[in-house]
Amino acid sequence: MEIAFYLSAVVAVLATLGVVTGRHPVHALLYLIVSLIAVAMVFFALGAPFAGALEIIVYAGAIMVLFVFVVMMLNLGEAAAQQERAWLRLSTWLGPAILSGVLLLVLLVTLIGTDVGGRIEGETLTAKAVGTLLFGPYLIVVELAAMLLLAALVAASHLGRSEAHDESHAVRQVPSKRTADGRGRAASERSLGDDTSSEENSR
Amino acid sequence: MTSLLALSPLILVCATAIVVMLTIAWRRCYDLTATLTVIGLNLALAAQLLAWWQAPLDVTLLMTVDGLSIFGGVLILVATLACATLGHAYLEGARGPREEYYLLLLCAAAGGIALVSSRHLASLFFSLELLSMPLYGMLAYTYRERGALEAGVKYMVLSAAASAFLLFGMALLYARTGHLDFAGLGEALASAGSDGWLLAGMGMMLIGLGFKLSIVPFHLWTPDVYEGSPAPAATFLASASKVAVLIVLLRLLQSAPATQDAWFHSLLAVLAFVTMLAGNLLALMQQDLKRLLGYSSIAHFGYLLVALVINEGLAVETAGIYLVTYVLTTLGAFGVVTLLSSPYGGADASRLHHYRGLFWRRPYLTAVLTVMMLSLAGIPLTAGFIGKFYIVAVGVEASRWWLVGAVVAGSAIGLFYYLRVMVTLFLPEPGMQRRDATTDWAQRAGGVVVLALAALVVLLGVYPAPMIDWVRLMAAT
Repeated sequence: MEIAFYLSAVVAVLATLGVVTGRHPVHALLYLIVSLIAVAMVFFALGAPFAGALEIIVYAGAIMVLFVFVVMMLNLGEAAAQQERAWLRLSTWLGPAILSGVLLLVLLVTLIGTDVGGRIEGETLTAKAVGTLLFGPYLIVVELAAMLLLAALVAASHLGRSEAHDESHAVRQVPSKRTADGRGRAASERSLGDDTSSEENSR
Repeated sequence: MTSLLALSPLILVCATAIVVMLTIAWRRCYDLTATLTVIGLNLALAAQLLAWWQAPLDVTLLMTVDGLSIFGGVLILVATLACATLGHAYLEGARGPREEYYLLLLCAAAGGIALVSSRHLASLFFSLELLSMPLYGMLAYTYRERGALEAGVKYMVLSAAASAFLLFGMALLYARTGHLDFAGLGEALASAGSDGWLLAGMGMMLIGLGFKLSIVPFHLWTPDVYEGSPAPAATFLASASKVAVLIVLLRLLQSAPATQDAWFHSLLAVLAFVTMLAGNLLALMQQDLKRLLGYSSIAHFGYLLVALVINEGLAVETAGIYLVTYVLTTLGAFGVVTLLSSPYGGADASRLHHYRGLFWRRPYLTAVLTVMMLSLAGIPLTAGFIGKFYIVAVGVEASRWWLVGAVVAGSAIGLFYYLRVMVTLFLPEPGMQRRDATTDWAQRAGGVVVLALAALVVLLGVYPAPMIDWVRLMAAT
């Protein structure tokens, strides 16, 4: 099992390097997923299957959602598809593929192999043990984490909504600027008035 | 039950945050939100008395309620109250949603209160994050200003890096000692002797906490963030957030006698020395009051580090007294900046030339700012003098002459730029003025807070006995 630990750790480090040096967000995310799965493997090797499973469900799952968001934000069209095809070269996917191949190998060897040098010392942490710890002595940390999530949510919603608000401003004011005569100015004034009234409504 | 009573300030602040959130969801009403926030904070302040009856008490293995934590909690709540009141005047004219400010403020206050009473690395980390996370939102609150957005992003990125250092340091310490609670960690460190991994872990934790306190090699973010962020948020960052981190550092140093280890000890002393001198020297030629206050806060935390380095005799009491005077003075100085910049309309009035001739328009506000500057400089008859006197006394008693010399030199340099601000206030008024306080500032809550702070600073400078008794009582338990 020790070899599984070290191999997964090396994969995690290499994949994270790939994230940092990646020039394209989508490619970096590919490496990030490999890195997270490798960390999950490390947890499994250390005898903490619960943490490992959480790592895969929460992180790899959440990162997949992030992935989707990035793809959504990129302007996808015919040109983008062409670009995508151009990017899909051997050199791009070779790195993540080799690293995940190593992880798969480690998994297969530990599954099939009978004894590869015993296991790392320590008892297995189950979901039940984690639960009793979290809601026993560490209850306050759980509550603090809840407040932390609330604060992060509020901060993100405040800053995020303001951006959307600004965009709607910009969109509404562009046509009035194009007509440079008095009517255009009147229109822009009206649109400003609309803005304030809509703001008042939203309050 | 006693545990719940002991934690009641924290619980009340969290409950207020949730009530405020539900109120915002139900109906957006600016005044109602502000009133609820202030009521909740006052209740929490009163609940510190309940906690005091239970103290000293360990609540689970994560928290402890003792004199130090109640002292820190009271300071944080007072600072938060001042920030809420100042923020009310400031945000009155702001466009867009204004209510979230109070929600973020309450969450940050909860983080601060939890931080001062944590005695376990897990609760330390979570409270520190709970303190910092709302601050990202508060610093970038007026996102339409480029400066505010820059301040928020800068603080977020650098703070995340510092948190990573802190976490890595904790992991190293845990890997070597197997303890996460301060007491166990201290014992293990004392018996372990010098070990490379332990030193690396302690150094990394120091980097993480030093960043939040803006100690010199990690201070680069401070002036930019202070300058760009909206004034009430900067006030919170400069007062409550720093108090909380300093108190937890104090607790950490106290419960880990192994940090008396010569190597670590002299490292702290060097940091204190450099921080005092660099903070004061960098402030010399600033043309911006908020930047100047940022550098001045760096220097003040250098002075405070002296008390932490010595860590014997009156050191805890000294740190407490210095924190009280620092918080009152900083709140007052930033309060004047906030009043001059409120109601919010574009960038804050922070350039020094905005303050030129302020005396001829707003004599009382000028008096407040003058008192605050004198107190920051440590002139007798202001509270700042008492704090500085204690620092020098403790340094002399422990015969750390280098540190005492740096305190004296730093104060001498500091006098120059504080006086420069004061001279600006009394210069003849230039033709055009961009920003000014509203005419009825003294009748509004923010103005009353600032005036009360000025009165308190003078009063404590003349008659410091009650403050000293209180801090001594708190330090004793």
